[in-house]
Amino acid sequence: MVTKVMQIILSPILALVVGVFFLGLARKITARIHWRYGPPVIQPVIDMIRLFYQKSVSHGFMFDLGIILSLAGSIVVVLFLPFGQICPLSSSGGLLVILYTMLIAPLGLALSGGQAANPNISIGISRKLILSLGYEVPLLFVLLTVMTHYKTISIVQVVNAQQSTGWSLISCPLCLSGLSYFLILPAILGVRPFDVSSAPQEISSGPMVEYGGKYLALATIEHAFALFIGIALFVNLFLGGAANIVSFFVKMLVVFVLGLFINAVFPRFRIEQAVKYLWKWPTLLAFLGLIITLAIRN
Amino acid sequence: MDRNQITKWFKAPAKMANKYSLHAIYFCTGCGIIEVPPVITSRWDAERFGVIPVATPRQANLFLITGYVSVKTLRAIIRTYEQMYEPKYTVGFGSCPVNGGMYWDSYNTIKHLDKYIPIDGWIAGCMPRPEAIFIAVTHLWTLIDKGMANGYIRYRENYKSYRRNQEMALGKLEWPPLYPIDSNFEEARRE
Amino acid sequence: MNERLKKELESTFKDILVADSGDNCATVTIKYSQALAVLRFLKDKGFDHLALLSAVDWIEEKEHELVYILTRYIQNIDEYRDESKLHLIVKTRIPRDEPQFQTITGIFPIAEPYEREIHELFGIKFEGHKRLTPLFLERGYKIPPFRKDFDTRKYVEEVFDKIPFAENKDK
Repeated sequence: MVTKVMQIILSPILALVVGVFFLGLARKITARIHWRYGPPVIQPVIDMIRLFYQKSVSHGFMFDLGIILSLAGSIVVVLFLPFGQICPLSSSGGLLVILYTMLIAPLGLALSGGQAANPNISIGISRKLILSLGYEVPLLFVLLTVMTHYKTISIVQVVNAQQSTGWSLISCPLCLSGLSYFLILPAILGVRPFDVSSAPQEISSGPMVEYGGKYLALATIEHAFALFIGIALFVNLFLGGAANIVSFFVKMLVVFVLGLFINAVFPRFRIEQAVKYLWKWPTLLAFLGLIITLAIRN
Repeated sequence: MDRNQITKWFKAPAKMANKYSLHAIYFCTGCGIIEVPPVITSRWDAERFGVIPVATPRQANLFLITGYVSVKTLRAIIRTYEQMYEPKYTVGFGSCPVNGGMYWDSYNTIKHLDKYIPIDGWIAGCMPRPEAIFIAVTHLWTLIDKGMANGYIRYRENYKSYRRNQEMALGKLEWPPLYPIDSNFEEARRE
Repeated sequence: MNERLKKELESTFKDILVADSGDNCATVTIKYSQALAVLRFLKDKGFDHLALLSAVDWIEEKEHELVYILTRYIQNIDEYRDESKLHLIVKTRIPRDEPQFQTITGIFPIAEPYEREIHELFGIKFEGHKRLTPLFLERGYKIPPFRKDFDTRKYVEEVFDKIPFAENKDK
């Protein structure tokens, strides 16, 4: 009981540390790819300290509530993800709960944006939801494939099954699903080829146009959690989880850096190009993986 | 990072965080904005100072007023400046905000930006080099350390005279006063 | 300059002066009572692009001069097929006191912002213009700023230098 409570408290804190480290590492590595020095790796921490010290102005009650709702949604998803040996709420739900609680974060942003009444926010939110529509289709196929292959909806059992049969990424029908998930990973995280919803140059940062001060700090924390969730899900489902925290973190780091190499050199897709891409090859690969898994099971 | 800096972080985290995380709003005021893209890209990298451009005044705490300020632009500058959250710093960039610069006898530009919004520092030049921008950033750090970069505090204290100056230059303003001013200001405004 | 165009202009309108100013430019000087007719004639001939409309203040001669620069986009009109690109500069003069002219937005709709600009900077009124509101300037001026008798230094001293500094600089 006590260990469970401690795990529930520890898991979001660890996820936050990892997420913020990834944010800083992203800026540093992107800068080095661009042949320049970058900010120090703890720059997001400095930004957040500065943001918390600014006197922010609220637009109303719903404005405050929306960002807290979005942050709470992300923390709930983190509680369902095993992180090495820490898995607080593992025995209830698992993959299905993650699938629908992942959508609370953009809805929270939409709620607060409704009160701020800036047209940029509505454009950004509509783009974000259309992008969600784009990546939910292959994501559903991928998760269905994993659930069918391992005959369970609990992530902990998937991780445990991979200890004996090897990583899912290199086993036969699931390699297609793994590849498909890796292709849609930037869309889930909201990074460069697919960051059309919060484009600074086009729509003045989209849903975050009225966020400043402590709201922006909370939005950055939520972004850190979203980074953690996307990559941790991939590592758990396809790279075999890990027995302890350190090797889990190393696997997340490898996946993140590989994705960052793609992120740093790509421009931004328009929303219709993004959805067309997401519904073409990743969906085909995931669908193929699902068909083959169903055939093998029968 | 040496031990001196780490103790400074613990003693005054607000000051250190305000120094090393100056987000500049990307408001392209006049001709001087052509000097900003080289500064924020690979050749003269401003991100290692913590300076990145952001798209909205709510997220910014540094306002670079680059280039000449016509009367119409002054309206937009005042609205943008009043939307930023405190503490905020303004830097006049180029010689036109300082004393009119090349347009010192023009019929439609304002000559001293200092009369309308508070300025913390000036960068002279037409246009200043990117290295001048970095020297200005480090000077701004020194000013923040000493507590002398208090433009926003001066704006709050002397808001009556700033608003009177803004109304003398722009005519009637569509936005209400940012800080409360007393009622006999309205009659004194006519003079 | 095509000789046929010159002959057509001189035969259709009287009091017209067509000169070749070199470098693919030709100047057409007309009286302002027939300006609209000349512009419509030139537009029918294929000069359908109004490149610029501006004004000059001849203060000694007490006249304003309006300058229209016309070119054409489509070079393969049958009659002028083998001609190079030609700019036509059409000039008219109007008296300087109470200057007033007719708008050409019926012929070239693109002239609407040009005429607004000239109205606020020179003070020339255009009859028939739907929207003569200020375009760039924000304040009223007693003398329009682009006229030659507008003293910029005096204006700056009266308007901008009189505004005091907001804070006490002695501190």
